[in-house]
Amino acid sequence: MEYVIVRFPETREVRVDGVPHGRTNIVMQFEPGSHVVTLGPPWNFAPVEQKVLLYNTAALDPYRIEFRILPPAAIPISPGSPL
Amino acid sequence: MTCRARLGALVLASAVAVGCAHYPLNAPIAAVGSVGTAYRFPAMVTDRPDPADEIFVCLSFSGGGTRAAAFAYGALLRLRDIEIGRAGSHRSLLDEVDCIAGISGGAFTAAYYGLHRADTFTSFYDRFLVRDIQRELALSALNPVNLARLASPYFSRIDLAAELYDTSVFEHATYAALAKRGRPFVILHATSMANGAPFEFTQDEFDFLGSDLGAFPVGRAAAASSAFPFLLSPVSLRSYPPAAGFVIPPAVTAALETREMNPSRYTWARQRLDLMAGKDEKWVHLLDGGLADNIGLRSILRAYDRSDGFIAQRINAGHIKRLIVIAVNARTDPPEQLSRQERSPGLADVFMKTATVSMESLSADTIDYAINRQSEREQAQTNIRVCNERLTGCGAAPFPTFAQEIRTCFVEISFEGLPSPGREEFLALPTTFALPEETVKRLIALAGTLLDSSPSFGKLLRALQGEALPGAGVGERGNCS
Repeated sequence: MEYVIVRFPETREVRVDGVPHGRTNIVMQFEPGSHVVTLGPPWNFAPVEQKVLLYNTAALDPYRIEFRILPPAAIPISPGSPL
Repeated sequence: MTCRARLGALVLASAVAVGCAHYPLNAPIAAVGSVGTAYRFPAMVTDRPDPADEIFVCLSFSGGGTRAAAFAYGALLRLRDIEIGRAGSHRSLLDEVDCIAGISGGAFTAAYYGLHRADTFTSFYDRFLVRDIQRELALSALNPVNLARLASPYFSRIDLAAELYDTSVFEHATYAALAKRGRPFVILHATSMANGAPFEFTQDEFDFLGSDLGAFPVGRAAAASSAFPFLLSPVSLRSYPPAAGFVIPPAVTAALETREMNPSRYTWARQRLDLMAGKDEKWVHLLDGGLADNIGLRSILRAYDRSDGFIAQRINAGHIKRLIVIAVNARTDPPEQLSRQERSPGLADVFMKTATVSMESLSADTIDYAINRQSEREQAQTNIRVCNERLTGCGAAPFPTFAQEIRTCFVEISFEGLPSPGREEFLALPTTFALPEETVKRLIALAGTLLDSSPSFGKLLRALQGEALPGAGVGERGNCS
């Protein structure tokens, strides 16, 4: 198994490969290989999604994925939509 | 009517029957979401944990005809009689079961329990376990009308078997009826004849066929799961063009991108896409589920491994506190005769060995895999916990943790667990859908005896009956503590 932590300033649902999995800032486990990671609503985060390649991680050294909070003026109506 | 006229009418009726006989087609699906009661594991809501997830129990029932069905039934009976008294309520360990994977003979017990729950213990014994299904199938095939139907290239022995199971075992129940019963989620397994891929009777799998599982008879799925090669023909499903709005799941797309890094995930994804129809008509022919996995553990392991798996989601969300997997394995090991003869084995022996040898080697690998996955998780949890205890001791910030430390438990019961000489008798039992009632009774009792004598299962019961909160444990360590 591979280990991942999704860093975000708030506690938020994490979606991996299109389905909900846990939340931000905790360690999660996934199979090795490619995965698409994003967050649940509200859509005040960037980037919209991140494709990661999980390999050779450890529970004490998980793969780190960072999302940042967008300022209110930059929040799209839905993920990926124009402002 | 004269004799000649009667004969003429019979010939005419037979000709019509031959022309019309066709196995029932699985139904197409118009659009994704158009099915009201799709047979999928309930969707998880991250911030609203379902209490049913806290103690998450999955059972796997192996193949092995009536021997396996009776052994699985005995395991259900024993779990029913174990009170775990959760939250002051009267709950049995059987009430906690969330999923059951069934293969061949085990598929009958799994599906019947999924449909009938407590009523299983008043009807399944007579309706299936002590019946001479093989004789009934043979008589059905000798019926003149059925003889005529069997002459059709679109109707075969397995279709007669499916009709028998549908009418006399499952009473025309469909997957829509199974979906309405909720948990446990029953996964019946078959094997795709084209590529040897495992096939699961779930709407997630049927999505790739552009088909609605809801209208599909459970009896026909059980027939597919038990379509032993050479003895029975495959069950055929039509693969329709994808339903409107169908999108290949991201987990499949992602899996295809990293073949070298994770070949088993890649193969799983490739096999899902192989189910889909292109421009040409496509059919999926299904044989006994035991050809791909004779103990039924693989679908449970996929639900644990894959990012779209219902167990993986709930572990990462911290909803599961205790994960229990019980494999009820009716594997036999009859006395080996081939090695005692000088002459080369005949065609019949080669056919039989070809069909069964791979079943056994795959089963051992699957159990190893399950145990390794379990210890991997326990090890990761221990590493984080021990490190954080030391860091806390010197005032340093702790490492991030999992949402929930889970306690894992893997129990396998099989005839190998019996002391000799009693073991040899059970290991020599045949794979058939007709066993003497006395043997059926002994198999039912044996499952309970083997569970009770399993040290891991004993430890699990002490924990479940003694812990203050689910997953708290009672101070023991290791598997099932």
